[in-house]
Amino acid sequence: MKKSRASKVFSSAYLIIILLFIYLPIGYLVLFSFNEGKSMTNFSGFSLKWYESMFQNRTMIESITTTLIVAVVATVVSTIVGTVAAIGLSKAKRIIRSIVLEVNNLPVMNPDIVTAIGLMLLFISVKFQLGMVTLILSHISFCIPYVILTVMPKLRQLDDNVAEAALDLGATPFKALTKVIIPQILPAIISGALIAFSMSLDDFVVSYFNTGAGINTISMYVYSMKRYNLSVNAMSTLIVAAVTLILILVNLIPWIKDKKTKKEEP
Amino acid sequence: MTKKLTAVLLLICLALLPVCSLADGTLNVMNYGEYIDEKVIYDFEKEFGVRINYTFNDTPESMYTKLQTGVSYDVVVTSDYMIDRLIKENNVQKMDKSIVTNLDQLSDSVKNLYFDPDNDYSAPYLWQNVVLCYDTTKIDPAKVEEKGWSILLDPELEGHVFLYDSPRDIFMIGLKALGYSMNTESRDELMEAYDWLVKMNQTIHPSFVTDEMIDGMAQGEKWMAMMYSGDATYASMENEKLAVWAPLDGTNIAYDNMFIPANAANPELANQFINYVLDYPNSMLITVETCYTSPNEKVIEDVTGPGGEFEGIDSYVPRTGYEKDEIYTDNELLRTETPELLVKVKLQ
Amino acid sequence: MKSFFRMSYPYILWIAIFIVAPMFMILLYAVTRSGNDTLTFTFTLDNFARFFSDPDFIRVLLNSLRIALFTTVFCLLIGYPAALLIANLSEKAQTMMLMLLTLPMWINMLLKTYAWRGILLNTDFGSELKVFIGMVYDFLPFMIIQIHTAIAKLDPNLLVASYDLGANKWKSFLKVTLPLSVPGIISGITLVFLPAVSSFVIPKMLGGGDYVLIGNLIEIYFQQTGDWNFGSAISLIMALIIILAMWATKKLDRTAQED
Repeated sequence: MKKSRASKVFSSAYLIIILLFIYLPIGYLVLFSFNEGKSMTNFSGFSLKWYESMFQNRTMIESITTTLIVAVVATVVSTIVGTVAAIGLSKAKRIIRSIVLEVNNLPVMNPDIVTAIGLMLLFISVKFQLGMVTLILSHISFCIPYVILTVMPKLRQLDDNVAEAALDLGATPFKALTKVIIPQILPAIISGALIAFSMSLDDFVVSYFNTGAGINTISMYVYSMKRYNLSVNAMSTLIVAAVTLILILVNLIPWIKDKKTKKEEP
Repeated sequence: MTKKLTAVLLLICLALLPVCSLADGTLNVMNYGEYIDEKVIYDFEKEFGVRINYTFNDTPESMYTKLQTGVSYDVVVTSDYMIDRLIKENNVQKMDKSIVTNLDQLSDSVKNLYFDPDNDYSAPYLWQNVVLCYDTTKIDPAKVEEKGWSILLDPELEGHVFLYDSPRDIFMIGLKALGYSMNTESRDELMEAYDWLVKMNQTIHPSFVTDEMIDGMAQGEKWMAMMYSGDATYASMENEKLAVWAPLDGTNIAYDNMFIPANAANPELANQFINYVLDYPNSMLITVETCYTSPNEKVIEDVTGPGGEFEGIDSYVPRTGYEKDEIYTDNELLRTETPELLVKVKLQ
Repeated sequence: MKSFFRMSYPYILWIAIFIVAPMFMILLYAVTRSGNDTLTFTFTLDNFARFFSDPDFIRVLLNSLRIALFTTVFCLLIGYPAALLIANLSEKAQTMMLMLLTLPMWINMLLKTYAWRGILLNTDFGSELKVFIGMVYDFLPFMIIQIHTAIAKLDPNLLVASYDLGANKWKSFLKVTLPLSVPGIISGITLVFLPAVSSFVIPKMLGGGDYVLIGNLIEIYFQQTGDWNFGSAISLIMALIIILAMWATKKLDRTAQED
């Protein structure tokens, strides 16, 4: 079926409008990070002063490092635990698997405020002081389900025979795991890790209820701000730049790899 | 498997490192947001060779919740009635007055407070009252001064008013407008105030916000706001059309003091910090940055005097000695009922 | 290979502690009566009675359901065509579009909502409309991506066969594409409706104190009033509504698949 010119134009216009909508607040944040004045509604001139003041704002910088540390640790731990769990579950008895997966879904489906409060009540009742540890633990608990949800489908598609063959040929279970199974599900693991990472970065409510003295994530910092402070815009702009860079790289690498393998082919 | 396990454990230990650094050199401070000049923090750290972990809370209630969960803070800044409650619950330790010597710099207006008359448990940090801040070109000052809080029943103001989303302060308005005490323990009076507020909400449809109103009033978004005097001072300095008025029905005067929780990890350093903040130069920095009233006698004199930062600005120092003004006390009825009642006001 | 099932044991322990126990704690608080955080084991269903017997709370619940419904429907109406159009692009263009759609998800939701606050300051919109815009903004990408995933999986030959059999574009869409994309629609709805009902940050930041949804109510009882028992009861009610909704959509999905 041929696409008429009109429908092509319409299709592009529709998608462009949606993209504009999605990028409107981001553009707005970036624009006002360069504002001379301190208003969030009147742009009075171009200045880099907010970038300067951002680096002098220790609490803000700390919130950025805290967010990153928590996200990295939570992602690493939840990816490992989640992958191990998924592999284990794929070989477990059906009934155990379905029960565990249902429970696994709870943090995903539950409102985040319910998850947050549940965890807080748990920590308090065992008198575990709220702080960095509880923050990380709570992030791990909502990240693991996403890893499992991403890895499980891929595991189901696997051909068991390959791993069985490896074992028959004398490989240890560990080797069968690392040399056969994991490479096959690696894309799903990476995808799960990325999702876990973005979930942790985006979180507010769970962090809000489960941290202690002096520990702020970016979202908590912004939430507690009283007046507008355009250093937040400066910080946002840098985050946008960093994320864009990472996403470009992530997409560029397979493309470069592709080109390399193409060159190698005769 | 074991390799992976060790890797995981190592990572968890790395994450715990920040927690492990809770040496003698750390001070955990909890304060309202944007209620200090960061220079004071940096200077203190340099002078004493320590590190300050600075946390924010937006209300005394959320601070109380955090304390309840067992988190240990060394110095906390919060409002009078909450300190009153915490002292009664034995959650506050006495200050060491041999360290906190700068108490002698305090103005008489902040001394002899009901909850801590001798400053055994707390030291004043900033103080304020609740006022009306309004655009003189849109509303006649004579009308505001005559009607007091009841001006909020004026249909002409519909859609043009900010109210600070604090249950206690909003009920204060209702109670005062009806001539009752804002610390009432009478359910009937509280419910009358509720009805008054429902009427108010349905007449003028105010916008319940928190600190957004500061920039909002400074930029002329609305005609009138019920604000804390420090924010009103700031807004009126940014926007000369604004005037500030403390209604003659009476309002509340609030004292934000520093105290040391009973479970503070580092009480000695906490006392040092309190003493440091009370001192003239630091109190000056804080008042100029926040626009709230300093408790320091000389600071008040200097900023309101000739060439002072707040010269000629009446809203800077709250009205004192007026018998209809009151200070909050810890009141179980108000504490448990007002948040829910305010939600209901908004839903009518 | 079979022995691999033992690898799931650590996680089972984990969920017992970090998923089951917290829910149990909420349940415990919800069915007991007390002061603040000290648990006294006097069991009662008062907290639930208090919620359901108060017309104002029911109104809050209905408001939350209503705005979540509007948000979901709107995201569906706008998102479905978008997903369809994207699926018809070239492979490269699709990857590009998806990347562009997911990039904002890496930027904290609070920063984006803070930006919307600034943008919407210049407008005269009411609180509900502002909250609606904020929610649609936050959830639209999820809807688009879920539907797109479902459509992209479809075998293009199905459409070709449909055209060969004489159906026009519109009919083919209605009879082939749409029904087969239903799983995507359902997961999109799940990912939008459920979080929308429980949202508390967006209403708070964009609606001001005026707009109270059920998430805000829970926050008030935990932070302001200190009535953790009532707060837990509301949390439980919300969790139950969501689990019910989830179960219902699963049933729909299954019947849809059986078709």
